[in-house]
Amino acid sequence: MGDFRRNKARTSLTSLGILIGVLSVVLMMGFGFGLKNYINQQFDTLGKNLVMILPGSGFGATGGAGLIGGIQFDEKDVSKISRVKNVKQIAPVFMKTIKAEANGKTERGNLLGTTDTTFEIINSKLQAGNFFTNVDVQKKKKVVVVGAQIAEKLFGTANNAIYKTVRIQNQRFMIIGVLEKIGSIGADDDLNILAPYTSLLSLNPNKTFFAIYLKSSSDETVSQVKMDVKTVLLKRYKADDFSVTEQAELLETINSIIGILNIALIAIGSISLIVGGIGIMNIMYATVTERTKEVGIRRAIGATKKDILYQFLTGAVMVSVLGGLVAVVIAAIIVYLIQPFFPASINAFSIIVAFGISSAVGIFFGVFPAKKAADLSPVEAMRYE
Amino acid sequence: MIELRKICKDYLVGNDNIRILHDISLVIKEKEYVGLMGASGSGKSTLMHIMGFLDNPTCGTILLDGKDVSKLSDGKLSKIRNECVGFVFQQFNLINNLTVFENIVLPSIYSREKTAIDYKEKAKELLTRFGIYNKKDYRPNKLSGGQQQRVAIARALIMSPKIIFADEPTGNLDSKNGEEIIELLEELNRDFGVTVVMVTHEEDIARRAKRQLFIKDGFLVKK
Repeated sequence: MGDFRRNKARTSLTSLGILIGVLSVVLMMGFGFGLKNYINQQFDTLGKNLVMILPGSGFGATGGAGLIGGIQFDEKDVSKISRVKNVKQIAPVFMKTIKAEANGKTERGNLLGTTDTTFEIINSKLQAGNFFTNVDVQKKKKVVVVGAQIAEKLFGTANNAIYKTVRIQNQRFMIIGVLEKIGSIGADDDLNILAPYTSLLSLNPNKTFFAIYLKSSSDETVSQVKMDVKTVLLKRYKADDFSVTEQAELLETINSIIGILNIALIAIGSISLIVGGIGIMNIMYATVTERTKEVGIRRAIGATKKDILYQFLTGAVMVSVLGGLVAVVIAAIIVYLIQPFFPASINAFSIIVAFGISSAVGIFFGVFPAKKAADLSPVEAMRYE
Repeated sequence: MIELRKICKDYLVGNDNIRILHDISLVIKEKEYVGLMGASGSGKSTLMHIMGFLDNPTCGTILLDGKDVSKLSDGKLSKIRNECVGFVFQQFNLINNLTVFENIVLPSIYSREKTAIDYKEKAKELLTRFGIYNKKDYRPNKLSGGQQQRVAIARALIMSPKIIFADEPTGNLDSKNGEEIIELLEELNRDFGVTVVMVTHEEDIARRAKRQLFIKDGFLVKK
């Protein structure tokens, strides 16, 4: 065992090879699984009985491209759909990117014209103030509920924003609520500005909507509601003009995309593992072959073949296992540090796979040349240069 | 003690089988001091390796204390190498990853006998006797040739073997150191009854042994 301690540089290189292999597989799989869990969690928050009515073919084979340039829904559609059996809540949404101004500062935001039911449907949470109500919608009140980042950027804190005025497209709105920070990756949910659609008539005179969200009365009625809504809309639109998607389908599509992403990540991780493995193989084989002469000397003074194998096996195991353990610890640290920015997680299976393969490679190539050396007669081995 | 009967040894060189040793029969008795002489390439080292159980003959039998060792298992053969035989090589063949002390006690690590012998103490005694105690924690390659050879002899003696084989032990040493080593071996034979078989190509060194064997082109000859 001391032999490996003495060849510090070589040992470190071998461990490094194992480290790289294990680390890349663990991280890659960690990212993949973390992402999947994150997205599934997001969907769980929204609930299974959520149905989204969108223009175009929606999140189909085109993967979202069909959303652009499709039809617009209107109040008639909303009222017909709300009469479908088992539709518990409905919220139409009009969306426009705008600039919000206050206190001499400007911030880009997503203006969402909708009804008060939206907050319940998408499970919004406030950190200050209140949601607007049905009364506000009826009375076309110029009030808004803003995302955390809008409040912070324009007023410093959420509490400071309450009851303050914000200018949007030359109109003044009063902030009556600030949403909790969502912090979703790559999206800008914290830049949302929700207003009663009725107060946005200058921007949306025809009262058209980009999407309609609804919640069915229960998880069981979702499929039926979907079909009934489709039937209603087909009376007015062509099948290609809109899509009615329940959460589960969307989730399925996203999960299959993630599935492919995961395969890609695993492939990349595997390549690193293979490269790491080849590194281990080379170093181990070279190191041990170099010690053929030493094996001969030990055999000459009474070591059995088993003694030699045991000596090199323990050494190889130590180096491989040590390298693997260090790798897992480093991977855990990296994942922990990345948590705020990216939902990565360590998955036991990835650890087992990476660790197992690295150790197997290290041990085999640490022992195989030793066995070859031990099988020689002592004199043959000692002649080895 | 050691008897060789009709030993031959072949080596594969490329595609050809070259016979290095031909039909060698000899007996080494206890407490003998034998000098094995031959020119370079005569096969003397090969013969000694076979006598010392470091290599296997292609044909013939070897008897140790009357028992045929050619069919022994790896474990039993290793035991013989460990307990009965001590080898001293021309190039010392010490392990540079270990200290001088660790080199000397190394054979005891492979011993399977449960004895009360304190090998560490014995190693210290040998180091003192050979005048290299102060080098015990050094790596072998930090010692002079003469000192390394003494370490090698100490290693060969640690298990109190019945027989020591020395393959050109002075080959890599200057004459002063070489002389000391030869005297050491003589002392082991004379005062401690250790059987010594020494290979050399120098006649005056061989003459100091009690019996001489001559080998030429792989045959034992009478000079």
